[in-house]
Amino acid sequence: MPVLDIPLSIFIVIPFAVGLVGLLLPAKAARWLALVAAAATFAYVIFMIADFAPGGSGLRYVTDEPWIPALGIRFSLGVDGLSLFLVALTALLWLAATVVAALRPADRAFERPRLFFLHLGLAETAVLGAFVAQDLALFVVFFDLMLIPFYFLIGQWGTRERVAATTTFVIYTLVGSLLMLAAAVALGVLSTPEGGRISFALPELAQRTLSEGAQIPIFLAFAAAFLVKAPLFPFHGWLPAAYRAAPLPVLVLLSAVLSKVGVYGFLRVVLPILPDAAVALQELMLVIAVFSILYGSILAFSQDDARLVVGYSSIAQLGFIVLGIFALDDKGAQGAVFQMVTHGLVAAALFLIIGALAGRAGGSESLARMGGIAMRAPVLAAVFLIVSLATLAMPGSPNFVGELLILFGAFEDKIVYGLVASVAVGLAAVYMIRFFQQAMHHRAGPEVASREIGRVDLAGIVPLVVVILGLGVYPQLVLARTDRDTTARIGEARELAGGTSDAQASPPGGVTPGGATVPGEPPVRSPSRPGGEQLP
Amino acid sequence: MMPPPPLTPPPVWWAWAVLLLPLIGTVVIALAWKLLPGRLAGYLGSLTVGLSFLAGIFAYVGLEDLPPEGRELVSSAFTYIGTGDLNVDLSILVDPLSVFMVLVVTGVSFLIHVYSIAYLGSDRGYARFFSYLNFFVFSMLLLVLAGNVVLLIVGWAFVGAASYLLISFWYRRDTATTAGIKAFVINVIGDVGLVVAAFLILDRLGTLDYLGAFEAVRQVPEGDGTIVAACLLLLVGAFAKSGQLPLHTWLPDAMEGPTPVSALIHAATMVTAGVYLIARFHPLFERAPAAAAVGAIIGTLTLLFAATVALVSTDLKRIIAYSTISQIGYMILGVCAFAYSAGMFHLMTHAFFKALLFMGAGSVVSALGMTNESIDRMGGFRRAMPFTFATFTIGAGALASLPLLSGFFSKDEIIAYTFHRGGLYTVLGICAYVAALLTAFYAFRMVFRVFFGEPVPEAEQLAGGELAHVGPRNPLTGEEEDTDVGFPGPEHHIAERSFPMKAAMAPLALLAVVGGVVAIPGLTAGVETFLEPTFAGSAYLVDRPPEGEQITGLVIGGVLALIGVAAAYFVYLRRPGLAGSAQRRLAGVHAFFFNAWYLNQLYDRLFVRPSRAAGRFGRTTVERFFVQDAIMGGPSGVVRAGTALARAIQTGYLRAYALLLLLGVCALALYFLIASG
Repeated sequence: MPVLDIPLSIFIVIPFAVGLVGLLLPAKAARWLALVAAAATFAYVIFMIADFAPGGSGLRYVTDEPWIPALGIRFSLGVDGLSLFLVALTALLWLAATVVAALRPADRAFERPRLFFLHLGLAETAVLGAFVAQDLALFVVFFDLMLIPFYFLIGQWGTRERVAATTTFVIYTLVGSLLMLAAAVALGVLSTPEGGRISFALPELAQRTLSEGAQIPIFLAFAAAFLVKAPLFPFHGWLPAAYRAAPLPVLVLLSAVLSKVGVYGFLRVVLPILPDAAVALQELMLVIAVFSILYGSILAFSQDDARLVVGYSSIAQLGFIVLGIFALDDKGAQGAVFQMVTHGLVAAALFLIIGALAGRAGGSESLARMGGIAMRAPVLAAVFLIVSLATLAMPGSPNFVGELLILFGAFEDKIVYGLVASVAVGLAAVYMIRFFQQAMHHRAGPEVASREIGRVDLAGIVPLVVVILGLGVYPQLVLARTDRDTTARIGEARELAGGTSDAQASPPGGVTPGGATVPGEPPVRSPSRPGGEQLP
Repeated sequence: MMPPPPLTPPPVWWAWAVLLLPLIGTVVIALAWKLLPGRLAGYLGSLTVGLSFLAGIFAYVGLEDLPPEGRELVSSAFTYIGTGDLNVDLSILVDPLSVFMVLVVTGVSFLIHVYSIAYLGSDRGYARFFSYLNFFVFSMLLLVLAGNVVLLIVGWAFVGAASYLLISFWYRRDTATTAGIKAFVINVIGDVGLVVAAFLILDRLGTLDYLGAFEAVRQVPEGDGTIVAACLLLLVGAFAKSGQLPLHTWLPDAMEGPTPVSALIHAATMVTAGVYLIARFHPLFERAPAAAAVGAIIGTLTLLFAATVALVSTDLKRIIAYSTISQIGYMILGVCAFAYSAGMFHLMTHAFFKALLFMGAGSVVSALGMTNESIDRMGGFRRAMPFTFATFTIGAGALASLPLLSGFFSKDEIIAYTFHRGGLYTVLGICAYVAALLTAFYAFRMVFRVFFGEPVPEAEQLAGGELAHVGPRNPLTGEEEDTDVGFPGPEHHIAERSFPMKAAMAPLALLAVVGGVVAIPGLTAGVETFLEPTFAGSAYLVDRPPEGEQITGLVIGGVLALIGVAAAYFVYLRRPGLAGSAQRRLAGVHAFFFNAWYLNQLYDRLFVRPSRAAGRFGRTTVERFFVQDAIMGGPSGVVRAGTALARAIQTGYLRAYALLLLLGVCALALYFLIASG
């Protein structure tokens, strides 16, 4: 039994509720309250991890109440191995971002701090909700809810061309969201068996069958929403402007956490429910993934804006994650989940470091104006070095473990994609070392002030670096807990893919090779799946 | 797994101590550097490596007490990655081969640490240097002690990172940071090779543990496609790390690092990791003779190539760097010709004499005021620097494999084995002899140009008792150093005036002279006995050249070395104008060799420029289309269309249409919901 058993419905609402309370307090108290709430949220997540036995699986802390019974929508929450560490990542990075935002000296603090922390809290509630939702409609609600606080956070507290950036961001995301909404409704309706009741519960949807013809458009709509959110090439048009405009604590969350909700959706929603489409469109997704990896890496080493170096490298890293997911292999999926966590850690740390670097380069985030500060800022140089090496997935870093598993998964059946992706590993070394050197080494520019990193920045970054180092030594902490729930999500799609493309190598029991393609027959599924009438 | 024995800890405990001591040194120096007064960081760093060496000896002694067949011990700390069919422990393998490497690495590292205490004594990055250096030793030990392929890759990448950090140690120099990034990226290419090889090994043999994989590979038929591919990919890793063609271009540039780094990482230890890798995976290579032949051919090409470049290069440290590339070519040829103990023997003697040569070079460069490394600016240092002269000459003699010095026995053992393989290997053996002649020539070219001839002003000044000092400059560009941050240090140190430097060089000089006695054909077989039974499963263990062949080889090698030295003497001391006129007459060949066969320029055209162009194209063209024209601006931009739409909705008729559309969508949704109900 857990030591503390707070229902998830309360747990996820706390950040927003605290933000509301903060509105009534003096600005300074509101900042401290936000900080305490973020810390408490993270502390509770540590209990959740401690409570989850290695090798375990299944939903915990389940809340399952009827919400809109007429439409079959339930208020269904739960944490399993797949979402556990994404919830943990969210809580940790929110804490880091809140530390940096709340503790900065008064003269550099945000205007309207109470409103800022309210939006930050609402955003955390939405993200946590998306990670723990077990009902598709609820997932869609939380997924769209994320847009609102980020719209205000970028639009009101942003820098430079924030209006244009916000508009692009909103248009992209809205188009994706609307497509997903339509797809969710269509999915719920089309998969309802004759005489059965409509349901949006994810486990129920995974049980129901849908013809491949119906799955494909639904898959494409979901994929569009998730790929925009991540983003992957060529859905990244909003990224440069939004990354340049967002205030740094917000950018930390945008890049490190929000991007994960998109790719998480593939594992939570798409693969278990639409396995036939996933197999049919596997090549397409792999091409997008590999293209993103190469394109992101190449652009990352031709950028001068530090934020965009990290931004484009994120496109490449998310490409790796999608590659791992759509390799439809156990190791690939495991690597993808692990990479979600590790990429979140390094991206967050890098953006916090960029804040520190800009503070030493006369406020500029241009690489050309940085440099030469390693001698007088050895602590900053050291943490930056560790994070850089982790970002380029140096063996020994946690990111390497994720990348290794992803590549192994890709090599298994799709070796060409795996080999092309391997090229990008070398490119990552180029852009990260270049970034590190231009910011730290060479001679100091005229506007550069070499001084050590401040305590506030350090308080935000050091915990992340500690987690990065810890996971580098003992990645099994995560892998042992994500293993079963992750592989279960892709199981069906993997068997379908294995049955058609590599039958003799791994004959899965009960699956007829090529069965799914025989016209007029229902798709052959695993024996446990109850067959149902197909809707036209 | 092991009950704690009553009196002496088992070898694996010592091996863990070997591994952890330098790590402790790294962490302590990194965290407490501000609290360490004076040169304490250097003493601390040296102490941990020295203790690590002692622990290595205890591990060896413990291993010797075991029966030969029980000398392969695995110790596992915890599961590192365990998912599906992949199960990787944080485990070390203690066997004679790993202990051999441990002793060479920690022994040489200890001496170079001691040397650095003086050599970098006045550098402002003193503590940082020792933290990095200890980290390097830890990484190298992880590489050689790893019990499975994944951990090997981790150590492999860590040494690459340490190498990068130390190459760009004087990071205010653009030349140093450029060299660093080059070394890092080429090493990552090698890492990728190993990762793909690891996948193939897992796929074919079912495990990434060394012992399990080596057991499983016995069942695999010779020439199995997957195993051949895996071996070729292992070679990619080995070539990248060991500076072999075509991945060697980073190693000469790596001389940007402080000279002790060149001695330790880029000569004695890290760059020989490729040789260790092939020896470690010998059960796989013996199943894939085609891959082994590829390795042997490339090793031979490299040893010839690098010898020709060393012949004409004028930068003292780069000459030694090319000679390292060449000597590693010999080792690769050896282990790929299945002469494992000969390869490891040469690895050991090379570590001694090459570290010694670099230490001597460091001393000479210091005497020039750290401003220049060109041998054109050197000469006549014999009288002013007698200790450096003596030790450098010993090192050069061992490199030239003059009879009875250490390199003589090890190099010629490799060549004898190569001839014994016959067929293709006979050709490779002849090439190896040709390069041996060149080696003797360029080794003594260095000695004669640096220590003999007209003394340069700095040498005369030094003979008068004064060390030249003109403020540090970048030797490559002549750019003045930023003394404000003190890189490199404001003072410089020569062996004659520094006890730690002498204390490090003297033992190495001794070993460079006598190190060969452990394996003299017909008399001793120290290396082979030491390595028993690592290679016991090898089919080639008994297929060895008879003593007569080996002794003939030694005689030929000795004669060639003497001819080479004599030729160098003739060219540089007896007829000083000869080299210049030959250079003029063969200007084309000279330029080809001097520019290292133009490979750098070729890679620049093939890889560097195209990827830069791709980046530019992406940034200016593709992004403009996606981000600016199609989305943001232009007549059809999405944002523009969106804002126009929004304006129309607010102001005009469009509002009604939009409302209608929305209602339509809702009606459609409602219809589906009702129809399903």
